[in-house]
Amino acid sequence: MAANYWASSQRRHWLFSRERLADIREGLREKDKVAHSQFPLPDQRLLNIYFNQQLIKLGKRMSTRQQAIATAQVYLKRFYTKNEIRQTSPYLVLTTAFYLACKMEECPQHIRFVVSEARGLWPEFITPDVAKLGECEFALISELSSQLIVHHPYRTLSELQTDLSLTSDEVALAWSVINDHYLTDLPLLHPPHVIAIMAIIVAVVFKPPHPSTYAGTGQSALAGSMRDGGGMQMLAALSDKNGSGPPPKIQKLVSWLAESEVDIKAVIECTQELVSLYEVWEQYSEKNCKELLGRMVKSKNLDK
Amino acid sequence: MSLTNPPSSSGSLSRTRVGNLKRSLQATVDDAIESRRPGGYTSKVRVRDRYNIVGFISSGTYGRVYKAVGKNGKKGEFAIKKFKPDKEGETIQYTGLSQSAIREMALCTELSHANVVQLEEIILEDKCIFMVFEYTEHDLLQIIHHHTQPQRHAIPAPMVRCIMFQLLNGLLYLHTNWVLHRDLKPANILVTSSGAIRIGDLGLARLFYKPLNSLFSGDKVVVTIWYRAPELLMGSRHYTPAVDMWAIGCIFAELLSLRPIFKGEEAKMDSKKTVPFQRNQMMKIVEILGLPRKESWPGLASMPEYSQLQSLVLHRQPSHFHRGSNLEGWYQSCLKNGGYTSTSSAGTPGTDGFDLLSRMLEYDPIKRITAEQALEHPYFTNGGPISGNCFEGIEGKYPHRRVTQDDNDIRTGSLPGTKRSGLQDDSLMRASKRLKE
Repeated sequence: MAANYWASSQRRHWLFSRERLADIREGLREKDKVAHSQFPLPDQRLLNIYFNQQLIKLGKRMSTRQQAIATAQVYLKRFYTKNEIRQTSPYLVLTTAFYLACKMEECPQHIRFVVSEARGLWPEFITPDVAKLGECEFALISELSSQLIVHHPYRTLSELQTDLSLTSDEVALAWSVINDHYLTDLPLLHPPHVIAIMAIIVAVVFKPPHPSTYAGTGQSALAGSMRDGGGMQMLAALSDKNGSGPPPKIQKLVSWLAESEVDIKAVIECTQELVSLYEVWEQYSEKNCKELLGRMVKSKNLDK
Repeated sequence: MSLTNPPSSSGSLSRTRVGNLKRSLQATVDDAIESRRPGGYTSKVRVRDRYNIVGFISSGTYGRVYKAVGKNGKKGEFAIKKFKPDKEGETIQYTGLSQSAIREMALCTELSHANVVQLEEIILEDKCIFMVFEYTEHDLLQIIHHHTQPQRHAIPAPMVRCIMFQLLNGLLYLHTNWVLHRDLKPANILVTSSGAIRIGDLGLARLFYKPLNSLFSGDKVVVTIWYRAPELLMGSRHYTPAVDMWAIGCIFAELLSLRPIFKGEEAKMDSKKTVPFQRNQMMKIVEILGLPRKESWPGLASMPEYSQLQSLVLHRQPSHFHRGSNLEGWYQSCLKNGGYTSTSSAGTPGTDGFDLLSRMLEYDPIKRITAEQALEHPYFTNGGPISGNCFEGIEGKYPHRRVTQDDNDIRTGSLPGTKRSGLQDDSLMRASKRLKE
């Protein structure tokens, strides 16, 4: 169903257990061990950060909305559960994912414009031939089994905004946490409403003192407070059902959670995933990602 | 291989000629398969490995539809919609898929309902998209047409009721899943040989849950003109599921009268691609429903084309402007002409039918009946159970879908009601295509 998550292809075909996802990736690695040892790549999350930054750069010059970027990120993730990254030209795949996502999210861009913008950003890796992108689009749609409708947590967030009387700061922070979750495997592991609730809890519990700092990503705002014993703070908040300790807002959230049938364990797992994302983020180097990818693409002639 | 064509279409062809043409039809699919270059995209599934193309059904701006039968153990009949590549020339190039193809593929993949056309699979092969659907033997346009031949004889009232019920059921499913169809018309309402209604052709359908762009931008015009809701004619930018309900009302009226109720002429877009006010179509509606009024349609005065509507009043004969709706008069004469009475063999849709029709053809989209409300209307709740087979108890068979062997036979363009206007979405990609057509 188009707008019913429970009957959606996302739930039926694109939701994996952690074990299954690890098996799939191991299978891809097994098939091409040589390339794996020849072309080491950074941690998947660091690569995701890099890809996300590239998508944002691409989108910025075309005034694209965040949701199209998010959809493109999900397409990338799904595509790379079926294809070994070392056999693709990641720049072409991400440009194609962006082009397709723009059409799906109703903000279409002309193929020539997308190609020329992408070429402006990565002249070494994108040829001026639009047919390349068109062909990659076929491959992408085929690998995604034409299942192109993506359910995002943003919608749950805006639906719950009033119910949970969230302030605009809290919504903005939760929004940026949702942006960040696309840098992890979470979109392949949990349904969007679980992600949205995680983002709300994080935003309410770890509200940083200077709201102005969290434009775009929650990393700078949240990393510190979540790491420094933040996990405990949250667990305490969630388990303290008597409500003597935490502020009323958190009490309200806790009782709402208790009444809803949301999988609390999954929510906590998501939070931990986010904490570890913010930890690994500190090692991020754009230059390093760029070099490793560039070397891989060039020596394997993947851009041809 | 059994051909199901009526004698009129294939009877004149000799056996050998049919054979040749059949081969050439298969070739239209095969020819696309050109030499592959290593490293390029190749489909894992091939159309010709799974299906035999047995005939040609129709063509449109999107491409062509073929009839096929499964092969290699695959059973059944199918309709294969082949999206034409953007440039048809010596060598086909990848030029990016049109947004409407993408929408239709994505939506059909997710949707599953007894009254919505069932997608079998999508094959992306050699720069073409093949969407494989279940085959449906009939459609409402063809059924309506059959009832005008050799002379007019009304579609039995219980059959109309059954068609409408299934149609609304399918539409309710679409609307509860936030899908607007946006091109409902008799030609797009498919009917299986066992009398099940399937809403088809989701090429203009869109999700309407908080779209990033307003539903208006990108698609300047939707819905074939005769079925276009008044708020669209008035230039509304925020249209809703109510546009589909208006089209359903027009289809209901057409099933009863066997003629489009508002058969206007479309004003063409000018060279600047601005959408003109559809004066003639609006007039056709006004002739039956009377002039829309601010009192009963509060949003009217803020519609972009409101001044145009007022100029319509000033410049025309005032005869039908100062009276109210004459829908009831239209309905009564429709019943009379069709021989719909409680004692006749056709039965009658009665006063409940009129009430439902008038609620569907309500000017104000906010007041217009929804699919859900319509299904609970006395027209359906009174008067016995409704079968899932609209042909139940109907004597005489409907002719089978015309399937020709001639691939170049582009007939749909001239058939009434199938003219597809409003393909202004994808204007980015389609500009070059339109010039050719």
